[in-house]
Amino acid sequence: MRKSVNRPPTPDVAENQEKEPTLQELINIELIESGEKERLMELLRERLIECGWKDEMKALCRAFIKKKGRNNVTVDDLVHVMTPKGRASVPDSVKAELLQRIRTFLVSAAL
Amino acid sequence: MSTRKPSYANPKPCNHLSAYKLKYGSSGYKSLQKSLKSAPNGRTSVRIHETKIPRCSFCNGFEGRLYICLICSSVSCSNHAVLHTQLEIGHDLAVDVQRAELFCCACSDQVYDPDFDKSVMAKHMLDLPCSTNSADSIGERLCERKRLGGSGVVLSEFKKPEKSGFVRDHRAKSCYPLGLRGLNNLGNTCFMNSVLQALLHAPPLRNYFLSDRHSRRTCRKRTANRLCLPCELHGVYSAVYSGDWTPYSPAQLLYSWWQHSENLASYEQQDAHEFFISVLDGIHEKETKARNHTKDSGDCQCIAHRVFSGLLRSDVTCMTCGFTSTTYDPCLDISLNLDTSRCSWSDASNKPAKANGSSCSSTLLGCLDLFTKPEKLGSDQKLYCQNCQELRDSSKQMSIRKLPMVLCLHIKRFEHSLVRKMMRKIDSYLHFPFSLDMTPYLSSSIVRNRFGNRIFAFEGDESEMSTEFEIFAVVTHSGTLDSGHYVTYLRIQDQWYKCDNAWINEVDEGIVRASQCYMMFYVHKTLYYKANIDLRHLPVSTQKEAFQRMAGCC
Repeated sequence: MRKSVNRPPTPDVAENQEKEPTLQELINIELIESGEKERLMELLRERLIECGWKDEMKALCRAFIKKKGRNNVTVDDLVHVMTPKGRASVPDSVKAELLQRIRTFLVSAAL
Repeated sequence: MSTRKPSYANPKPCNHLSAYKLKYGSSGYKSLQKSLKSAPNGRTSVRIHETKIPRCSFCNGFEGRLYICLICSSVSCSNHAVLHTQLEIGHDLAVDVQRAELFCCACSDQVYDPDFDKSVMAKHMLDLPCSTNSADSIGERLCERKRLGGSGVVLSEFKKPEKSGFVRDHRAKSCYPLGLRGLNNLGNTCFMNSVLQALLHAPPLRNYFLSDRHSRRTCRKRTANRLCLPCELHGVYSAVYSGDWTPYSPAQLLYSWWQHSENLASYEQQDAHEFFISVLDGIHEKETKARNHTKDSGDCQCIAHRVFSGLLRSDVTCMTCGFTSTTYDPCLDISLNLDTSRCSWSDASNKPAKANGSSCSSTLLGCLDLFTKPEKLGSDQKLYCQNCQELRDSSKQMSIRKLPMVLCLHIKRFEHSLVRKMMRKIDSYLHFPFSLDMTPYLSSSIVRNRFGNRIFAFEGDESEMSTEFEIFAVVTHSGTLDSGHYVTYLRIQDQWYKCDNAWINEVDEGIVRASQCYMMFYVHKTLYYKANIDLRHLPVSTQKEAFQRMAGCC
């Protein structure tokens, strides 16, 4: 599929492609291909709703949109403004649970 | 979807979307359709290749948001989507790979197209086992539901202005609006008095009884030794709205209720909610004419069901294949669990800080959210999935298919504790709004949310009726499980009145908010204000004067 695209020459990426994928990439690919990533995402979604994180983000988004005016905000703007705040306010307990799940998965996948 | 609801109104397409649609129509959507995959939970994503994971064609990354171009189906990440648009003229529109939602790269904003959502939903319906109502009994109910659609006719009956209001005003001796009359306690009957006060001021029910639809003179249900409950109710209505304000003793009604539900006939304290259900049942029993053959109450045309009956929808979804079986159940009220999750959580984390307990407050909206939240059924209660032909993990979600005219919300304050093997009462405070919009809890909204941000008309999009409610009565309970006291707060013309048996006082809304609400009665906004106009025919000046003179009368 990639060949069908008229790609601009991007040298550093071309170099990258020949490199071995990093461990992080390998893990990520394994997670996606096994479908575990989807399950993890569903779990995360649930946890974030339970702990009120989602409501908090919603309120922040609303405030931002109100400040900028309804018609002057795009999804991209929102994502850029919210991402740092959202990352910072994920409860540690949620992070720990997810990390534990990933560890368990890695052991079972024997990567 | 009607224009009345701005939340679902179609947003204007951007120029790029309009141009794309003009040139290609929805052929791009059609070709994308086959790569759409639906998860059992209703979320749809784009699966371009069966085994390979999608990567950005510029940076080869696979993390973050990925977009697939609608024209050349090349994939780019959110950082390079703009680059793709700049390189290929006209390739403005893309689809979010993970969410299957339209995105305009030129505007770098989400865009909405009903046609796109339609094609996504069409694919979704194909993928998932059809979620139609399959059980036989449900099919029967479905017919019922269709007939229920004609509820607009019922409504029009109540729109007639209540003419008697004009003439009666001179009899209103009290400074208070007509119809506020204390009810004597007949021996632990505050449970009855509190519910009666609420029923007496439910606009549709009041109009029904005051316009002589069921009157003692014409009723043939009475026999020598059996009283008729609606007749006695009619008596109470007449007495309360007569303009007399000395406390009234609803002894006849109590007696006829005892006859109706013999197991509750005693001078003991009863549960107000139980009384409410049993009175409605009593009205239903007497009012259902012989010509009405339906056994189920969902379709009943008696006044109790026309006013209080709604329809609940419960969806049980198999977590493995996504098969959904839907059932509809009529309900007279909605019982809500107190949303104590947040409180118990804070309790667990810092036990000594007891002061925190009061600061965490549950809200009625939280309770309703809890009520309509999908609930995973435990592994010990697996359900038989008709599609998989096996016992499967499933999740259950409730929603409201049809709202009643008068919405009665009952808060489950009585909790069965497994640890102590006993019942206990939850005393926690609950915040409730005076105006309530039920739109988020309707089946249409709930089902819509399940599928993400889609503009799509779901089967049976209800709500020709308004979803905005106004509170008009709150029944509160103070005391313990075995012995306590019920007090009703009534809201008439935006003024709150406390009805404590024979005593009626004007109160501030702060007092109402601080009370321990047990049952809340909401009525359609249109009916609430209309109900008030009836009472407003008193010239303003005399009304004011009366207030000053009689302020201390109760």
